[in-house]
Amino acid sequence: MRAPERAEARLAHLTEVWRDSVKPPHPAELERGLVGLRLRLSADAARPWFVRRMMPLAVAVVVALTLAPLLGSRFFPGSRRAAPVVVAHVVGGKILEAGYLAEVGGKGMELSFNEGSRFSLTPGTRGRLRTVSAEGVRLALDRGAASLRITPNHERHWSVEAGPFVVSVTGTDFTVKWDPASEELAVKLRQGRVAVSGPIVGDELVLRPGQNLTVNLTKRETVISEDGADPASAASAAEAAASAAAAPAMRVATSAAASAASAPSAAPGVRRWREALASGQWDRILADVERDGVEASLRTLSSDELFALADAARYRRRADLARSALLAQRERFPNSSRALDAVFLLGRVEELRADGKPRALQRYDEYLARAPNGTYAAEALGRRMILVKELEGPESARRIAVEYLRRFPHGSYAEAAHTLERAR
Amino acid sequence: MLVGAARDAKPEPVLPSGRDCTVDPHPWGRSMPQPSRAPLALVVAPPRRGVTDAELALALAAGDDWAIAEAWQRFAPLVLSTAERTLGSKSDAEDLAQEVFLRLFRKIGTLRDPASLRSFVYSVAVRTLKSELRYRRLKAWLTFRGPESLPDSSHTSPNLEARDLLQRLYALLDRLSPRDRLVFTLRRAESMTVEEIAATMGISVSTVKRSLSHGTARVSHWIAGEPALAELLDRGLERKRE
Repeated sequence: MRAPERAEARLAHLTEVWRDSVKPPHPAELERGLVGLRLRLSADAARPWFVRRMMPLAVAVVVALTLAPLLGSRFFPGSRRAAPVVVAHVVGGKILEAGYLAEVGGKGMELSFNEGSRFSLTPGTRGRLRTVSAEGVRLALDRGAASLRITPNHERHWSVEAGPFVVSVTGTDFTVKWDPASEELAVKLRQGRVAVSGPIVGDELVLRPGQNLTVNLTKRETVISEDGADPASAASAAEAAASAAAAPAMRVATSAAASAASAPSAAPGVRRWREALASGQWDRILADVERDGVEASLRTLSSDELFALADAARYRRRADLARSALLAQRERFPNSSRALDAVFLLGRVEELRADGKPRALQRYDEYLARAPNGTYAAEALGRRMILVKELEGPESARRIAVEYLRRFPHGSYAEAAHTLERAR
Repeated sequence: MLVGAARDAKPEPVLPSGRDCTVDPHPWGRSMPQPSRAPLALVVAPPRRGVTDAELALALAAGDDWAIAEAWQRFAPLVLSTAERTLGSKSDAEDLAQEVFLRLFRKIGTLRDPASLRSFVYSVAVRTLKSELRYRRLKAWLTFRGPESLPDSSHTSPNLEARDLLQRLYALLDRLSPRDRLVFTLRRAESMTVEEIAATMGISVSTVKRSLSHGTARVSHWIAGEPALAELLDRGLERKRE
């Protein structure tokens, strides 16, 4: 074979290997990417307009100021200054290009950040610091376990990406473990608050201190246990998980004790739906209702069942069905605490509908008037602030932001409220 | 007609039928869709197969929230694959894909023909890739460091020979200029025509041809200069012939 032909044959073979090396993304990877994109869009939207407009200019100035000493350092290496870093100390390994964490010595790694936060990675854990910036840190956990102690700061957003899951953090102390082989995520929260997003757990599942979450993708199983409770209690676990799934982006209101007490009294149908909710089998609930007839079901289902149906319909974006189930809850069980919860959830459902935002605002107003210190008061006030900003502008939303920060300084919407306040 | 102009003219909303519409009737008057702060919409609505690229482009320009997820589901696989082949890292490709979509949402108002949304996405992706390659090159130059990284777990295929080949290939690609590397990747790995590459990168056909010829010659020369790599490739070729 002549030299040019040989060169082309080699290139062709190399290209073939190259093409085959990339597989199409897994649906779970696509979901995780969409979550990341939405987070970045939210962060972008939260910045005042003048910051966004002036950003390119500011970047150009910073680049110019940064390049001068760097270029100098290239030609005068002795004068090179240490770049400002957020990671203060690394013990047991090193950080490679692109943030990859390389363990040295097989005893695990410890990372300390200059603002006091710390990561401890168990031996064999593989991960990467995807971003380290003034806005926070994103840790991608390929496999293994990491304990994180995050210093509270409302201006920073920390998160851990583990497989298709995203664990969002404010100030907290917790451990996250991801095993890609068994596709199992485990989160143990000791202090503070974390929100877990991903398949099966739904929009956003908020854990409270002492709770342990295990999600197994292969078994499509979600279990929440509490420290001190019997983790093997299937009933309490299923109840807690169902409650958690029932209230995405809200706190898990069910205690292990209450769950254990209420589980035995639940009817088989209710228990089956709770389990279906917890394991993400929302279509099963919807299929049951469609088989029995929607109108008839709304007339005959129990309060628990109506709530489960509303959740399943919300998760499947069946806004009309969710709305009907919540309205039935209000009409048929007007004196129950769930009738009040339904008011708030009706607001969430209205937000899913075209032209539903003004009606959602009315629902949140109604909820806050009837239950100013209710379970969902913080979320209702936060959503109210967001909607008023969208419908009436930031000036009107600012006074709600002030009220929100006064009442819930560490709430989920505190960051958005601070942003509104700062833009004054 | 600019897609952004269509938004200003308040056209009839192009919406798919179905009860799960989550259209924001009060877009914030900017070209980028603005999702609510929370919660994250992880329960992905079923794909809106009835929506054409043109309808999707108009919905993006109008700031419709559902269009974000739809655009991501429709185009992210394409962007992710190209980015991973170009950068050699799944993780970096994920970061870059998000950046591509952020840029897409900012620039959607400049799209003249809504039906060409796919080409527009690809063009934004290629430009973002070029910026990323330039940034890496500059960073390596300023810090005197070559890229030192762990191979992605996605590339730890059981085929050790293929893994070795890929590591060596990316080391060679790191030596090409960003433009030559992109042209080489789009032609060789993505099988795009010279004309398509020129249109996507916004350069002339003759520039693409020159760049491709230059890149191919250099990579071939470097392969010939690395006996271990040449031997690996020759061994693979022999196996194929057998």
